[in-house]
Amino acid sequence: MIFKPEQLEVQKAARAFVAKYIIPYAAEYDRTGEFPSHLLGAAKESKIFAMAIPKKYGGLEYDSLTQALVCEEWGYGCAGMGTTLGASLLGTDPLLVVGTPEQKQMYFAPIVSGGLAAFGLTEPGAGSDAGGVKTTAVHSGNEYILNGTKCFITNGAYASVYLIVASTDPSKGLKGLSAFIVEKGTPGFNVGTAEHKLGIRSSNTVELHFKDAHIPVSNLVGAEGDGMKIAMLTLDMARPPVACAAVGIARRAVDECLKHLTERFTAKYPPPQTMQFKLAEMHAQVEAARQMAHHAMELRDTTTSYSMESAISKLVGGDMVMSVTTQAVSLMGSYGYTSTIEKLMRDAKIMQIYEGTNQIQRLVIARGLLTQAAQRMQKGGKS
Amino acid sequence: MNFNLNEEQQLIKQSAHDFGKEYLEPIVVKMDETREFPREVITAMASHDFLGLHLSADWGGVQGGCVTYIAVIEALSGWCGSVASIMNNHAMASYAIQHWGSEALRKQFLPAMVEGKVLGALAIYEKGPTPGIGPNAVVATKTDAGYVLKGTKAYVRNAGEAGVYVVTAVMEADRPKTAVAFVVDAHTAGVKVGQRIATMGLRGCPVADVIFDNVVAPESSVLAARGVEIVNRTLALGALGDAAQTVGIGQAAIDHASAYAKQRVQFGMPVFNFPAVQTLLSDSNTDCHVARLALYHAAQLVDDGEPFEVESAMVKSFLARLGTKLLVDSCQVEGGMGFVESMPLPRLFRDIAGTTLVDAPSDTPERAIAMSIA
Repeated sequence: MIFKPEQLEVQKAARAFVAKYIIPYAAEYDRTGEFPSHLLGAAKESKIFAMAIPKKYGGLEYDSLTQALVCEEWGYGCAGMGTTLGASLLGTDPLLVVGTPEQKQMYFAPIVSGGLAAFGLTEPGAGSDAGGVKTTAVHSGNEYILNGTKCFITNGAYASVYLIVASTDPSKGLKGLSAFIVEKGTPGFNVGTAEHKLGIRSSNTVELHFKDAHIPVSNLVGAEGDGMKIAMLTLDMARPPVACAAVGIARRAVDECLKHLTERFTAKYPPPQTMQFKLAEMHAQVEAARQMAHHAMELRDTTTSYSMESAISKLVGGDMVMSVTTQAVSLMGSYGYTSTIEKLMRDAKIMQIYEGTNQIQRLVIARGLLTQAAQRMQKGGKS
Repeated sequence: MNFNLNEEQQLIKQSAHDFGKEYLEPIVVKMDETREFPREVITAMASHDFLGLHLSADWGGVQGGCVTYIAVIEALSGWCGSVASIMNNHAMASYAIQHWGSEALRKQFLPAMVEGKVLGALAIYEKGPTPGIGPNAVVATKTDAGYVLKGTKAYVRNAGEAGVYVVTAVMEADRPKTAVAFVVDAHTAGVKVGQRIATMGLRGCPVADVIFDNVVAPESSVLAARGVEIVNRTLALGALGDAAQTVGIGQAAIDHASAYAKQRVQFGMPVFNFPAVQTLLSDSNTDCHVARLALYHAAQLVDDGEPFEVESAMVKSFLARLGTKLLVDSCQVEGGMGFVESMPLPRLFRDIAGTTLVDAPSDTPERAIAMSIA
């Protein structure tokens, strides 16, 4: 991948930001699980915040590849803080595609001034199966009335704006889902307690409770029944950045291994060949996953049908980072089990789970392949 | 060929399960949080004869053999990896003392170790490329009174809680450097324990550096074999204990994920019904089963007095590749619920990594295996 000078400039800024505001704080916030309140202001100041939002709404309007470079650096520094910043991108994505100018104005304004967005799809009964959404939105005059519970919502307690998927017609299942903008402080909308997690501990994960929360009709994004389509489009956009973060975590693991090996071994006592080979394999896997992630990110800007490449990037990136970080702990032995590396392995696990488990990615890829094959059959009369 | 535990082994394994339910289940979550050392549990383990399973009746042990020992470690690990890890490190130290120690050393330490009054630890790793090389290598200097030990051992498990350390040191005068193993009372002047190191999991088992600052070790504290032989054999046995922990923790995770999958409904049915989920569970269960068979085979070789080092290396090598995967995939079955610490799998994820990824990474078992087929 050849980058433009302006893309490399942003990468440089992201590296400086991560070195100054993330790496020195990562271990402590991981330990306490607290939300790093300094993060948002610093990211805004470093010009890597609101980076997907168009300039006319006050954002930075970075292309997807530039965002890829930034997401990788976030992952490199701390996947927890990276998740906080990344989930805000995810919360922004759908509005970019389907929002009206008024909705964009309303939704993007708090973000460009340093706030966060959150995306609320998952529910206790709706994980991999988004069709299980039970939260309802009942149309009443100029309003929709929301009732239900969302869970595992990143940034839930700290976001200024939310995109919430709810059912406007439960009889229609997936086709009855709709997407709504919900603002912080809406009466009837409350936030539950934060989850303590295996990894990405500094990111905030909560339940959202809606009890007769009144939302203006103008907050409906797209049309009634568009909710599933919008959610899928959002996930298509959000999966490659997860892959980029995974690449960042894994690159960090390789760097930490290198640091350890050069401290522990010398020219006279070089690392054994088994360790050298492990290191080589790890690095090769990181490089390969990055290319796939960048390819999917480029497609985000050039085509609307890239679900398969998006899913591949997330599958490859998520599985790669789990394997590479495990190898890293093993390469360093006891040191790996007690140092920065163990955090990388804990953080890695979520990359196989969120934005659709890697089983769901396989499903997307397989369905895509089979559909394409069936279409070819139909067209040509033979395979 | 008989693959079954005998009646006595079954009874002891069952008693370890019951012990886990009674003593470990109530404390495991809090121990993981606070990292508090489970002193009372160690005493209770002694009263159940778990600490003398592998030791001779001369010292109060029950001479249960390696298979029995492995069965107990496996059973306890499903409840609490930390306690199994403490026990395995304790057992390695007591094994070395029984096997290579003088009568005086055995008398001094083994009965107290069986009773849980003195905890043992193995202090063999160093931060250099291999033990004996590096600025803080533990070096033994010969004196009139015996030896003086100086240097730092790294990542010693049971450090601080241990009353006795089995320590390797290179002899200062020897070229090439040869290692000798010493038994050092933790209360000896100059034995210092470094700051406790935070670990990913197995958090009830303390880990720290142990510093030997001109520690006087009399001739009688030297174990009667070359250091490398003692380390290799003790670690080969210890690796079986580690593998038993991996298998015990892995099986507990698979069972939990399987039960979860049966009650978790998505797309109108329990996720257990999906072939992709069944594959995750069945691959894990197969790996765990194969590891268990190889583990018990190696333990039987020990009890038969046969060479077992290569088989131990194979178990270790197999689990180094697939041990953590048992948890990576069990967590995956539970999705988001497999990632929140209010559920048990994240703790097991952190624990299992400590049973299979942490030995000195340059001690690759592959070499021992390769040499055996050369």
